[in-house]
Amino acid sequence: MSEGLLGLQGVAQSEGVVQNVRRHAENKEREDVYAAVLAALAGATSRRLHKLLTLRTPSEAYQAVALGDLSSEVAPAEVLNEWREAAQRFDLNDIAVRLDAANVKVTTCRDADHPPQLTHDIDPAPILFRRGTMPDPQLPHVGIVGTRRASSIGREVARELGMGLADKGVVVVSGLALGIDGEAHRGALAADGVPPLAVVGSGVDVVYPQRNKSLWHQIIERGALVAEAPLGAKPEPWRFPARNRLIAAFVDLLLVVESRAAGGSLLTVEQAQRRDIEVMAVPGSVRNPAAEGTNALLMDGCSPIRDVNDVLVALGLSEIAANARRDITEPVASIVSAQSRSSLAVRELSEEAARVLEAIDDGPTSTDQVVARSGLAVVRVAALIEELIVAELVQTDGARVRRKC
Amino acid sequence: MLATVRSSTLDGIDGAVVDVEVHVTNGLPAFTIVGLPDASCREARDRVRAAIESSDLTWPMQRITVNLAPTCVRKVGAGLDVPIGLGILAASEQIPLEALDDISAVGELGLDGSLRPVPGILPMVDVLDTKRVIVAAADAGVAELGAANRVRAVKRLRDIVDALVEGLPWPHIEPPKFEDDPQDDPDLADVRGQESARLGLEVAAAGGHHLLLIGPPGGGKTMLARRLPSLLPDLSPEAARLVTRVHSAAAIRLPGSGLIRRPPFRAPHHSASMAALIGGGSGRVVPGEISVATEGVLFLDELGEFAPSVLDGLRQPLEEGVVRVARSGGMREHPANVLLVAAMNPCPCGEGGTVGCRCGPTARLRYSRRISGPVLDRLDVMVQVDRPSPTALLNREPGEPSCVVAERVARVRALARERGAATNAALSREQLEVSAPLDDKATEVLHEALTVGRLSARGAMRVRAVARTIRDLDDAGPSLRAQDVYAAIGLRVRPPMGGYDV
Repeated sequence: MSEGLLGLQGVAQSEGVVQNVRRHAENKEREDVYAAVLAALAGATSRRLHKLLTLRTPSEAYQAVALGDLSSEVAPAEVLNEWREAAQRFDLNDIAVRLDAANVKVTTCRDADHPPQLTHDIDPAPILFRRGTMPDPQLPHVGIVGTRRASSIGREVARELGMGLADKGVVVVSGLALGIDGEAHRGALAADGVPPLAVVGSGVDVVYPQRNKSLWHQIIERGALVAEAPLGAKPEPWRFPARNRLIAAFVDLLLVVESRAAGGSLLTVEQAQRRDIEVMAVPGSVRNPAAEGTNALLMDGCSPIRDVNDVLVALGLSEIAANARRDITEPVASIVSAQSRSSLAVRELSEEAARVLEAIDDGPTSTDQVVARSGLAVVRVAALIEELIVAELVQTDGARVRRKC
Repeated sequence: MLATVRSSTLDGIDGAVVDVEVHVTNGLPAFTIVGLPDASCREARDRVRAAIESSDLTWPMQRITVNLAPTCVRKVGAGLDVPIGLGILAASEQIPLEALDDISAVGELGLDGSLRPVPGILPMVDVLDTKRVIVAAADAGVAELGAANRVRAVKRLRDIVDALVEGLPWPHIEPPKFEDDPQDDPDLADVRGQESARLGLEVAAAGGHHLLLIGPPGGGKTMLARRLPSLLPDLSPEAARLVTRVHSAAAIRLPGSGLIRRPPFRAPHHSASMAALIGGGSGRVVPGEISVATEGVLFLDELGEFAPSVLDGLRQPLEEGVVRVARSGGMREHPANVLLVAAMNPCPCGEGGTVGCRCGPTARLRYSRRISGPVLDRLDVMVQVDRPSPTALLNREPGEPSCVVAERVARVRALARERGAATNAALSREQLEVSAPLDDKATEVLHEALTVGRLSARGAMRVRAVARTIRDLDDAGPSLRAQDVYAAIGLRVRPPMGGYDV
């Protein structure tokens, strides 16, 4: 008796579902809304979504999911069951409003304006959320990645590379993280060239990290910010390896500015190597822990980057071979003049101050180290270091000092 | 009959005279104690009765009323046991009343009739002006600091009765040996390398400037701080008395000779509450760690782990050298003239952005923000304490020993006294103008630092005081040179702490 009753209820419920789904499916012109819903399903990996969307439009796929009309080829049965229930709970109107409010475009691998790099990738990203204007896919794309805990030199280099490449018509692709990523974007925005492309790990409407908030909005305004994660997705750690794969898929060349021994940027390098994309790395001091990963890459045979020209040569955008630059008089002259300038400043210092300056490395140096190296009394060293800080020859982090360059 | 015995109780770190009035009259046997006694004081009845009976004396089976006058002062502890016992014996005519003239007593009674020491004996004896002051034998050393040869130290209640009634001589208690207390301050010679930390300690000790040690765990911050007292001179007689009084009131074990002659070193754990650090408590005001450490070193290890409100509570005492604790029972002023030494890690993992630091930039920034600006501003000297290099560690040659540094410190402190302050750090603005004039180059340096915002106006005055100490340690020349001011600025805390760049 009770079994029959339950069975009846089940039928009634599924009839309601069918009607609901049909009503939604009539709203065909909003394929993007259906794509957004599919991306937000729990366990909707790029591979599963790709299978789902090769044969169906997003609305058809949604209908199939909601009606449980899918074979276990797409996903295991229990996942499909969860999807069916979840698909019912989505308020499609709400998602449409959210997409429009943030001006988010959603493209799938079926759409003509879906980035071709992603469609033809070995691990294709079937659905992409986007804010801003996508760069021309014909332009060369160069990824700049690196550690979040970068040294100030590393950040400077990332900024210079971003600026130099954008200026030469290269799309700078990066992850908009703290440290190297953000600086590369800043550099690219500072140039009056091609705006950058940011690939983020969270949803495109979730600003992360908050400290890059203004940068985030500048990129949306002038370049493009894309994500595979659905709207409102939090920056959960597992999303970042997928984001790194997306960066690797977008670029023709990957630059690593600074990476720690086991940094996340090495995951991006791995993804690039799977795709036979050349990786270049900026050499760092052997005393700089932030450069351990990049120096290891160089050891493994990556080409070193000294400046933006090395990158342009690798891209075939510059004729001047890096080695040939010695012959050109102008840069050499400027090097000489820079040297004489700094030696002039050094000459003005007292003999003791020069000894202290000599004892200070490019990396962080403690007062004790300076005392040991210079052989001066500690109170003199403390005074002279302060004098050098005021003279802007060294800089301090509050406890240690390093030579300014 | 009525008998009155003079005694005293502890009020903060001061004694307060208490007259113990005992009235024994006919009626149903009863015992009442009035006059604001606290719990341990009210329990006196049972102790006193047992002690009297154990001493072959008689407990009067009459109506006994004990009044502790003045009634407005709260009486704490068991120090009134002995005067209550003597009062009962006199009021029940076992001791002649006149024997109690010009006698006062402070002490706790055991059930066997023995006298036990009580905390705060020094301040309590200080306020008693009778010809004889009876205390427990164990309290004799400290009590004699307050009442010298008026002290009569006894071991048992029976001894008092024997002396007062039978006219037997007061028992002779061998005074604790007055030999110098062992110098157990650890020595600076154990420190290898760590030049800048040594400089920081020396400047802090010589000028009385508060010190901040920043560095990774295992760098030796605690070890260095523990060696600071060894650089300080012995306490002056007045300071020694004050410190002993506070320690006595705070029930801290005193040295054998009674008098504390070396600067105290206190290192409260970072879970300390406001009352523990500043002083307070409910009802009675107990001196806090900052008062116990007065004239010595207050060491706050793991500064970042202290509750921010507790740290901010240190601001006023550090400025004024006294701490005023107000409670419903009234306000107490305790000494708080400490040399503050604080130690902290540069970031939560302690490595401070060097190789092996596991903290993100945000975590480091948040950590450095835990200490409020006003507290940091009071720490005039900051040094980075790195782990010593292996060469320095394995070097068998001892570093400069404490006694050599202490001589320089004593010289600088003497100079400060000539200028009219205890230390250079305590020099007032006017005194600094007179005793720490800047030469032209030094004025320029200070002007520049003020212009670029490296120093606040207050910071500039502190820098002058530290520069004065640095010059004093060097050749004690009259004016400050640019190098002294540079060194003082270099030793000052930089605001963007923890913002490491590799």
